[in-house]
Amino acid sequence: MINSANGMASAQASSSSLANAPSPGLKTYFKTPEGRYKLHYEKGHPSGLMHYVQGKTVTQATLAHLKDRPSPPTPPSQSSSGFSASSGVRSAAARLLGGSNGSRALSFVGGNGGSKSVSASSRLGSLGISSSSNSTSTANFDGRGTYLIFNMGDGIFISDLNSQDKEPMKAIYFNNVYPVCHAFDQDAKEGHDLVIGLSTGDVYSVSLRQQLQDSGKKLIGAQHYNKDGSVNSSRCICVAWVPGGDGAFVVAHTDGNLYVYEKSKDGAGDSSFPAIKDQTQFSVAHARYSKSNPIARWHICQGSINSLAFSTDGAYLAAVGRDGYLRVFDYSKEQLICGGKSYYGALLCCAWSLDGKYILAGGEDDLVQVWSMEERKVVAWGEGHNSWVSGVAFDSYWSPPNADDTGEAVMYRFGSVGQDTQLLLWDLELDEIVVPLRRPPGGSPTFSTGSQSAHWDSTPPVGILQPAPSMRDVPKLSPLVAHRVHTEPLSGLIFTQESVLTVCREGHTKVWMRPGVAESQASNVETVLSTSLKDKPPSTKVNYSGQAMTGTNGGFFHGGRIFGH
Amino acid sequence: MGAAGSKLEKALGDQFPEGERYFGLENFGNTCYCNSVLQALYFCVPFRDQLLDYYASNKSVGDEDNLLACLADLFTQISSQKKKTGVIAPKRFVQRLKKQNELFRSYMHQDAHEFLNFLLNEIVDTLEKEAQATKNDQETSSPAEKTANGPKNAHANGGPKEQLDTWVHKNFQGILTNETRCLRCETVTARDETFFDLSLDIEQNSSITSCLKNFSSTETLNAEDKFFCDKCCSLQEAQKRMKIKKPPQILVIHLKRFKYIEQLGRYKKLSYRVVFPLELKLSNTVEDADSEYSLFAVVVHVGSGPNHGHYVSLVKSHNHWLFFDDENVEMIDESAVQTFFGSAQEYSSNTDHGYILFYERLGNGHMS
Repeated sequence: MINSANGMASAQASSSSLANAPSPGLKTYFKTPEGRYKLHYEKGHPSGLMHYVQGKTVTQATLAHLKDRPSPPTPPSQSSSGFSASSGVRSAAARLLGGSNGSRALSFVGGNGGSKSVSASSRLGSLGISSSSNSTSTANFDGRGTYLIFNMGDGIFISDLNSQDKEPMKAIYFNNVYPVCHAFDQDAKEGHDLVIGLSTGDVYSVSLRQQLQDSGKKLIGAQHYNKDGSVNSSRCICVAWVPGGDGAFVVAHTDGNLYVYEKSKDGAGDSSFPAIKDQTQFSVAHARYSKSNPIARWHICQGSINSLAFSTDGAYLAAVGRDGYLRVFDYSKEQLICGGKSYYGALLCCAWSLDGKYILAGGEDDLVQVWSMEERKVVAWGEGHNSWVSGVAFDSYWSPPNADDTGEAVMYRFGSVGQDTQLLLWDLELDEIVVPLRRPPGGSPTFSTGSQSAHWDSTPPVGILQPAPSMRDVPKLSPLVAHRVHTEPLSGLIFTQESVLTVCREGHTKVWMRPGVAESQASNVETVLSTSLKDKPPSTKVNYSGQAMTGTNGGFFHGGRIFGH
Repeated sequence: MGAAGSKLEKALGDQFPEGERYFGLENFGNTCYCNSVLQALYFCVPFRDQLLDYYASNKSVGDEDNLLACLADLFTQISSQKKKTGVIAPKRFVQRLKKQNELFRSYMHQDAHEFLNFLLNEIVDTLEKEAQATKNDQETSSPAEKTANGPKNAHANGGPKEQLDTWVHKNFQGILTNETRCLRCETVTARDETFFDLSLDIEQNSSITSCLKNFSSTETLNAEDKFFCDKCCSLQEAQKRMKIKKPPQILVIHLKRFKYIEQLGRYKKLSYRVVFPLELKLSNTVEDADSEYSLFAVVVHVGSGPNHGHYVSLVKSHNHWLFFDDENVEMIDESAVQTFFGSAQEYSSNTDHGYILFYERLGNGHMS
């Protein structure tokens, strides 16, 4: 075994032939306790895309829901009565709770975090329905619907999520520079709602609707920021709109800096910031002139920032980076609240729970970290990936199957994807997590030995970054489901009401329908869509998604944090 | 050559590390396997320092004709260059290597990992012989034993056999323990083995962490492969597991990218994408978990097959990453390291794959 490359040759021969098994063995479904998730369809980039651009960028995906405009007539297939009952509850609640500040009305739905400005997306997006109407929606842009935006090589591509067409309906090319990140502002009432960061550091904001209405292959009506890298010439890595931020967005770069921009301001206003004194320390500098854009620079860490995520209410910003730290900032106070280090290696992705109580982070230690905002430390490590964790998200549409019986017990469902090409689903039950923390797992006498152990007994003070915890001190989670979804390493995942989207680095997205979705749609929208659903078998299933929605929202709304100020 | 050197100096500017030398190594016809490993070893600072000390304190070394002397001579030559960058011909070293190991030359491909192994064992042999010569009075029954290569140096029940602890051992040697639990009497039998590097089986789209986990996964011995339990005095079903008992100072990980495919009757290169983090912790240890390692060198095999190809190396020196390709030395960005992970698809234009990884244990004052 030791030191010898060839000593095991005969033993290897058999296993290597297995390991080389061809990839088409991917299953088109996976099972969970609540039923089967089925591969519904795939989205890809145009087939003619140049090969040489591959590997230059990693595909990120964003969902964008374009809302109704007052003017255009409503096509019959997507009439408002097509909303599922559960969505109705959700939107009504949102209006109610967000009533005091209109711009936040839908802000709570973006719980899927990471860099993806994920929207609830699905007020219209019942996929089973649209399969019968997609021919019209792609041919004739009607200014509404849910769109999948993704980058690949030197292009940004837009697909109609409700269409089964594999090829995107729209391609925008940047020619020799690479768009690497993008975000959609679900709350934008006017003006630009899509922001795109490039490999050169340049940033553009545009109107998504305007791009879709145009037939060309160039970005149109764009505002250009950090032109030719005048403020920062390092690669953009992540962009995010500030929830409820009135058109403010942040752009993170590979040199550890983050810039705050306001879309209402001209991009040309020059900004200069003082040199950073200490690369290892967090510091914020504001632009000196009111016309300047960006308006502020946050120096977050040494080395690259890899991902950003705002809490759904916009109060907190989480950032992860090359140095392995998760950092959580109070966004308006520009203060570091808490944070901690990975077990080892860089962190690559992060996401908030809808209620703002937990943050997921994943990275080069192959672990999915669950961070508690209340305890300001890691409360669980998910073990199950065989390579780096590249995407994490809470499933905010899920609730425990028997939510009514369990009373106060809170459960979360979350997902993660990795460079091992796997999608993992996890259940986080709070009782399971909290108890082992007070009593170290396995009953081993960790209290007396480790210096680390002491910090598990108390909540660390505000503003302090935690060192990497010891392996034995953190409770472990095992995945509920592990499914190999692509042949390429993955880069992200998005939960929608009807499905889970998995995205691979090379620009392919797969849409996995939740169990019972088609059936529940049928019961909700029978009056309008009975004709289009004729071919679907009748279902005896309970209305899964409806139950999930009310259950989940009921729990989260009482959390108090989301609309707390 | 001179231009390339000045280019590197320009790139580093006033950040050029004090006293450091970045020299390419001339290729004497298919000696890139050798050059790539020599660069990785040169930038293994504790090893280099000890080798330079050895050379300085053994003046007669210059005249000796063994690989250790030739390597010490080469490293001293590099480190004492007046220029900061340039090219050196490792002529004496390569001549000695070829003279010493005909077997090595006759291999189908010259394997950088086998070369590294051979070199470290030769150095240990020489150091042990020298130590024995000075001791002179002790009559050792067995000749200096190679610490590497196979189970012949494994010792039942107990630590490794008492041996001279040379500075090669201090840097590279770790101890594995092979724990076997008899499923009848539950007795655990532990057998220790020393190692200079870990050879890991690899899988497509996996990480080093995962490969290490597989290396230490539990194996059940049953059917025709039962275990002879000393306590039960019979063959019994048992569970076997390999753990790291003593993590080495310098952790060398060899990825088994060359596999013998029986159906083809030849070796095949596995271009699998195996990601390696810049920092690593070992989870498969007996104790002493959580000690952190930092990547400082990667030997890269370039090419689609095992019989031809090229070796280059990536080296981290004073927080800069450098790319060594025989004579050429370039600065690269840390993020460029990930282009050497391998390919997620079997047929790919990317043929540059990390082959030997060098990690240094942190927190002991030996940061390079």
